[in-house]
Formats: sequence, structure tokens, C-alpha cells
Amino acid sequence: MQAGEYASPASLLAGETMVQESPSDRETKQGDLFLAAHGISKTYSDGTQALKRIDFEIRHGEIVGLLGENGAGKTTLTKILSGLLPPTEGRVESPRGSVRFANPREAMKFGIGMVHQHFALVGPFTATENVALSYERPFTPIRLGKTREKLEALMAESGLHVPLDVPIEKLAVGEQQRVEILKVMSRDVDLLILDEPTSVLTPLEVDELFDLLRRLRAQDKAVILITHKLKEVQSITDRIVVLRHGELVGDIRTVEATTERLARLMVGQALDSAAGVVELRDEELPIRQKREDSGATGEVVLHVQNLVSRGNTGEIAVDGVSFDVHAGEIFGIAGVEGNGQSELVECLTGLRVPTQGEATIKGTDILGKDPREIYRLGVAHIPEDRWGVGLVLLFTLAENAILGIHRRKQFRRAHLPIIQWSNVRKHVEELMERFEIQAAGTKSPAKSLSGGNQQKLIVGRELAKDPAVIVASQPTRGLDVASAKYIRDLLVDMRNRQRAVLLVSADLDEVLARSDRVAIMYEGKFMTVCRPADLDRETVGMLMGGVTSKEVCVERP
Amino acid sequence: MSDHELSAITVKSVVQKALLGLSPVAESLVAAAVGLVLGAIIMWISGFDPLAAYAALLKGGFTSTYALATAGARAAPLLLTGLTFAICVRAGMFNIGAEGQLYMGALAAVTVAYFVLPPALHVIVGILFGMTAGALWSLIPVLLRVTRGVNEVISTIMFNWISHFLAFYLVARVLVDPLVSSRTIRVPITARFPILIRGTDLSYGIFAAVAFAIVVYILLWHTATGYEVRAAGLNPRAARYGGIKSKRTMVLAFVLGGMGAGLAGATMSMGTPPSYAVLGGLSQIANLGFNGMAVAMVGRNHPIGMLFSALLFGGLAAGARQMQMTAGVPTDMVRIVQGIIVIAMAVPELTRMFRVFRLRWPGLTGRRVES
Repeated sequence: MQAGEYASPASLLAGETMVQESPSDRETKQGDLFLAAHGISKTYSDGTQALKRIDFEIRHGEIVGLLGENGAGKTTLTKILSGLLPPTEGRVESPRGSVRFANPREAMKFGIGMVHQHFALVGPFTATENVALSYERPFTPIRLGKTREKLEALMAESGLHVPLDVPIEKLAVGEQQRVEILKVMSRDVDLLILDEPTSVLTPLEVDELFDLLRRLRAQDKAVILITHKLKEVQSITDRIVVLRHGELVGDIRTVEATTERLARLMVGQALDSAAGVVELRDEELPIRQKREDSGATGEVVLHVQNLVSRGNTGEIAVDGVSFDVHAGEIFGIAGVEGNGQSELVECLTGLRVPTQGEATIKGTDILGKDPREIYRLGVAHIPEDRWGVGLVLLFTLAENAILGIHRRKQFRRAHLPIIQWSNVRKHVEELMERFEIQAAGTKSPAKSLSGGNQQKLIVGRELAKDPAVIVASQPTRGLDVASAKYIRDLLVDMRNRQRAVLLVSADLDEVLARSDRVAIMYEGKFMTVCRPADLDRETVGMLMGGVTSKEVCVERP
Repeated sequence: MSDHELSAITVKSVVQKALLGLSPVAESLVAAAVGLVLGAIIMWISGFDPLAAYAALLKGGFTSTYALATAGARAAPLLLTGLTFAICVRAGMFNIGAEGQLYMGALAAVTVAYFVLPPALHVIVGILFGMTAGALWSLIPVLLRVTRGVNEVISTIMFNWISHFLAFYLVARVLVDPLVSSRTIRVPITARFPILIRGTDLSYGIFAAVAFAIVVYILLWHTATGYEVRAAGLNPRAARYGGIKSKRTMVLAFVLGGMGAGLAGATMSMGTPPSYAVLGGLSQIANLGFNGMAVAMVGRNHPIGMLFSALLFGGLAAGARQMQMTAGVPTDMVRIVQGIIVIAMAVPELTRMFRVFRLRWPGLTGRRVES
């Protein structure tokens, strides 16, 4: 085989393993219909109506944003569009033929590829091996060399670069996502569906991703972008489809869409836009104190001095960080994920032993202490990894609600070391009421809850400890607008009640709008500690990228 | 889409539903039924009369007082060694060492023959000896695990062999009965479990087994310590976050498990007429530890479920002899039936364990987890 034949590397690779004619051989041009759904309804076997009479179409060369809160039906709709789930009513049609597949592989053969929020990659394998694996059929040899050549050609063509010979688990999340996209693109799909692709990416990576999507559009590919970030959907898409409770409530051209209009469509409530942050004006939320810029903060509760810690692979992850958090203050840590925030939080919550430095809570040393001892000093920890750390997914709601406080006297039978489950249930019911946790009951497993309710369960459990310090790490990541707003308000409420709040977030809007002071972390160091009002977005962007601005403000006592 | 494809999808979903949609109890019942039906087919192919065989099995294992008593006697040690395995599974580990821990318990209990004590106290001392020996034998592998990271599956299997040959040596050279070779010295009458039903092997050991099951149930599901064991077993990272020391829960689970297996050994040497001793070749106690793992699996690693699965396996063991005598079917056929039940159980259980694995590490290696 000669080099000249690699004109379309993806289709070549695809063609070798596919029986069908390669989709790329078809002539398509911008504006041609790729897929149309008529009157789609979906009722699951448990009676949930996920979709109600949806009409939807997607054409070549367009990027469509699919906007909606958690549970609005976005995932169900994309599963039906990609032929993996049969609709209860209605039909999906394509000029190309029947849209009904048994598995993603068949869908890809047809030209539909999906990149999920959680990647389907094998950690110890390299990118090449992972892509080769996706072609694997029983009893056929894996052609690593050939896969590699195709990937290199595809990377050159698309401008999407990933290291091919490094195990996936060593790559940054953004790089892993690029591997997933490459994997799907190597099948030469015509419709690329991305499920919340930016939630794991740094701002720079988001820009790169969007550049890539624009190039794909120029190649007459169709893209569906599932998101609940209003700004992103406005910046990249041509058309925005809004779902709410399974109904299509808006299908508008992006140029005609304003942030307010989209947000209104999505949550169905009046919205206003303040300080660049879209806020829900919901009279029913119990806690809605506005953040008062009083500046009057109390004593130092959490004191950190010259903290140094190594990361999982032995690198210096936290490199000499010092700060104080006062009572009645939200101290924010912004920055691109993976710059030492996780390790810093772990050091402060007893999950990691730092190499040097000191940290005290109200004067008591906490470094190297047990999580339980640190909780006793009044620390609540909302961990960034909800499923892996925050919850035991197979435990019930009740069991999860006492994690960490399971030895409290209030849950014990008098004079016996026996758990009084009725007391636990009472506690959980109070939590469910107070923190608006929706669940079938206290005995349902935590994994059956929606993401928003899982997080409310964690936040409720932690705040019910009546802590002096709240360490919240990525507390609203991946949550729907209403849940995210609710949790942010809880944090502000804790601040207003003179608690010290350490808020670590990759969501710049969140951390800038809610913090009294904010630090920007880059490669284990604080680039600056400022009042958010003293920072403009350009400066923040530069600091997050490691560029020291000349206008950097200094720490105020 | 062709009918062929459609039917393939339907068949797949039906099979999945059948495998995963059932309640645990129904799953166990289906597995038992599958085992019996396939066993019948194998008997029929081998030229035996399955109906006569099962009639005899039922008669010998379940349908008379004598049969049930014998089944109970067989079930007691299986329940205990099953608990050994189940406790450790709940703590997130595989303890394959019940077999060896049972040998050590049985031999330790025999040593009460060397001193004289009043009746009740003698029994209690024997029980304590057995449980302590089992716990100590179990402690070494788990200490190796928490201090040196030695995989407990490997170490417990190795410890089984060590105790196997140690037991042979002790029977032949140390705990020797000067009057009779081929067995150890006998447990004196004061230290024996009284027989519950005259003429059968069923002793008060069954109460010890059931009591231990109840204790395990209360401990795991109704105490903070048991909560910690289960939390660390399901998600060690969340447990650590919740202030739970999983090394501690691991050691605890192994020690408790070792106590169960040791107690099983004690009930065997102190409660099995007529010898009340450990026989050369370990014929009475061999494989009780391994069969307990099957009891744990069929009983879904839950003490209450295991009461029933232990009785089922006890009844199968008891009925096997009757089956051989009246229907001429070799007792090995019962082992085949037991094996098929375990495999049928394992299919949904393994699927579920794989799901747990995905839930525990949903990010990189797992597939998407629906929230």
C-alpha cells in the first residue's frame, strides 16, 4: 500500500474493518439533511415519560446545541437519535436508511459517533492501543502499526494532537477527551454527539475543542453539543434546541438567542443576569441572602503556612502555599484543574500527608491527622469526586447520610453499641426536607439518585455537622442550574452565618462571584490573592495560564 | 431493521432481565432449580433414574426427622465456614482460608482432652480454644495484607496447605491416642456438645452456628463497627473520607471470620459422634471450608440467606448416602448438582460484582454510569 492512498486516513481505517460501504464515500454538502426525528415520545418501562412529541432534525455542516437541565431528556433524545434506544412513539429517519442499531459500533458504521462525559478508555493502554481496541473483533489481530499511522494522519489533518505512546491514565482529562474524539473521528462519522464535553476541560482546552468543532463543521460534519452552559452554547453553535421536562421548548437560531431568553426557556422561570452570572430568581429557595460586600470578617479559622505536598506520581503538587480563611468569609481558589487544588484540599482534610508546612484550625494543628479527628475540629468536606469519595453508591440514602458521623451518640441505642436505625431515618428525613433531596425513600440506594440530589445529600450531610470550616471542592460540577444555584446559596448562607468557607472551583464565574477573596492557583502556587472586584477576566485568564500580569494586586490582611 | 436483528435484541434483553431483574431470593431459587434439573439430565444420560434418585435424596436429606437432623448436623459447620467467607466479602476481600482455619480450630478444641474441667465450662473452653486458633490462623494473612500488601487470596491458600500438613503431623505425632492410631485423642464427655436428637449426629453445635450467624448479622448491619466494615468493603476511598480506617476493618473481618471457621472446627471435634476426635486423613472435616464458600454464595453473603443455603447443602450431603443406597446413584452425583447450583448462582453474582467494580471506579476504566 502506498502513501498516496492515505488521502482520507479515517475512511481507510474504517473501510478495512467494515463490511458496509464507508459513509465518507457519499457525497454530502452543507445543508443536506442528515437525520430527522418526527413526533418522538419515550416512556420508560417504569412509567417515566422522558420525551414528549419531539421534532428534531440535523443537517450537514451545522452545530446544534442541546440545552437543558439534568433530567430534561437530553441523553434520552441523543440515544434515540443515534438509534440505540427505540422511541415509544414517532420515528427517526435519514436519507441514508433506517436508524436503528444494536450497539454504538453499528451506529458508528452508519456515521453517528458519541463522546460521553465519562470516557470509555482503558487506563493502562496508550491512545493507539485504545483506538485499536475499538476496532477489535473476535479472533482478528490488532494492527497497532496501521492504527498508529492512521491516527498520525488524522491528527495532522484535524489539528487534534495527543501523545500516542503514553498510557491514558497518565494524560490530562482534556487529552483523554481528545483521544475519545479521535477514536470516534477515526470511524469517519458524519454526526458527532458530545455529552457535556467542556465540563472536564480547562478554558484553553475548551477553546481548542471549539476550534476543532468549527473545522469539523467546515468539513460538512454535523455536531450535537449537549450542555447546560449558556455561554458556551451561544459561542459555538448555529442553532440551539432547548428541552425542559422532556418537551422541546425552543428551537432557535443562535444569533437570535440571548442569554436571558435561553435561560428562561431552560428553567422556565424569570431570570436576570448580574455580574456575568446567570442567577435564578426563585422565591421558593429558602436561603437567598445576597452576598453582602461588607468586608467585615471575623477571626482567622483556617491558617495555612508554606504548605508543600506531593501528588500521586511523586511530583510537587502543592508548592509552598500560604493563606488564611476568616470566619464569615468565602475564600475561593480558582485555576485550571490539576494545578494542585485537589492535593491541597486533601492535605487539609486528612486524606493526604504533606511534605512540609503547617495548617491549623483555630490554632490546632491538623496536618497528618485523621479525617475523623479533623472533622471533630469542625471541618466539613464536600469532595470533588462525588461517586468515588463522597458516597458509597450501593449504600442506602440513610447509610450514606451518616458517613463520618456514624459513631455519634444520637444514632445509638441507649447503653448499647447498636445503631438505632429509626433515629438515622429521622435524621435523613430532616436532611431531605431541609436540603430538598428528592428520593424514593431513605432506603433507596444512593446510586438511584440524580446527580443533583446526590450532591445535595453530600452537602446536606456535611453542613448538618454544623462545621466551623467548610471545604467545598468543585461543589457544583455537572449539576443542573437549579441544584448548582441552590448549593452556591447554601455556601453563601454558611458564610453569612460566620463560617469559614474554602471554595475550590474550576468554574470561574462561580468562584469569582461568590468569593470574598480569591486565589488563583497555577502549578502548585498561588499566583495572586485578590478581591474578585479587583480582577478583570483577562488578568484572571493570564494568571490561570501562568502569565504574571503587571497589575497583580497583593494580599490584603 | 431485519427481524433477525430485532429478535437478537429482544433475546438479549430477556436474558439480561432474567439474569439481573430477579430478587436475590428468586435468583437463588432459580439457581437451585437449574442445578437439580441439569443434574437430573446428567443422571439420565449416565443411565440412572433421576426421579428415584431425587426421591431418595429428598428422603435422606429433608423429609423425616432423622433426615432433617442429619442435614442440620451437616449444615452447621458449612454455615460457619460460609460466614467466614461472607464476612470478608462484605469487607471487600476474599478469604479462601476457612479450610485451614477450621483444621486449626478442630485440633485446638481436641487439646481440652488434656485437662479436667466441670462439664459446661469444659465446653466453653473448647469453643474458645477453637475460635482463638481459627482467629490467630486467620490473623497472619490479613496482617501480611495490611502491612506488606500481600494478596490475601494467595496467602490464605498457602496457609491452607500449611495447616493441612500441620494437621497431619499433629494427628500422627502430637495429639496421639495411645490406644487407637489413626485418630487423635478423644474429647472427653465433659467437653462434648450434647446430642440434640438421639440416634443422629445433630448436636448442640447447631445452636452455636446459628448464634454466630445472628451475631454476625447484628454486628454487620446494626453496629457502627459493622457499618464501617461494609462501607470500607464497598468503597474504600469513601470510607477513608468518612474517617474509617480500612486496615482496621480488614483485620476485624478476618479475625471474626477466623473465629467462625475455628468454631466450625470445634463443633466438629466436640460434637461429632462417635469418635469426638480428629480422624487421620481429616476425613470428617476436609472440604468443609471450601464448601462453605458455596453456601455463602448461594446465601448471597447474608447470614439470614445462608441459614437456608446451609440447610440446602447440608440436606444434599445427608441425602447423598440414601441416594447411593436406594437408587444406586453414586454420591458424586450430588457434588455435580451442587457444582451446577454454584455455577448458576455465580452467573448473576459475577455480573453484579462486575457492576460493583464499575461503580467503584467509574471514571477512567469503567463505562458510563447512569446517574
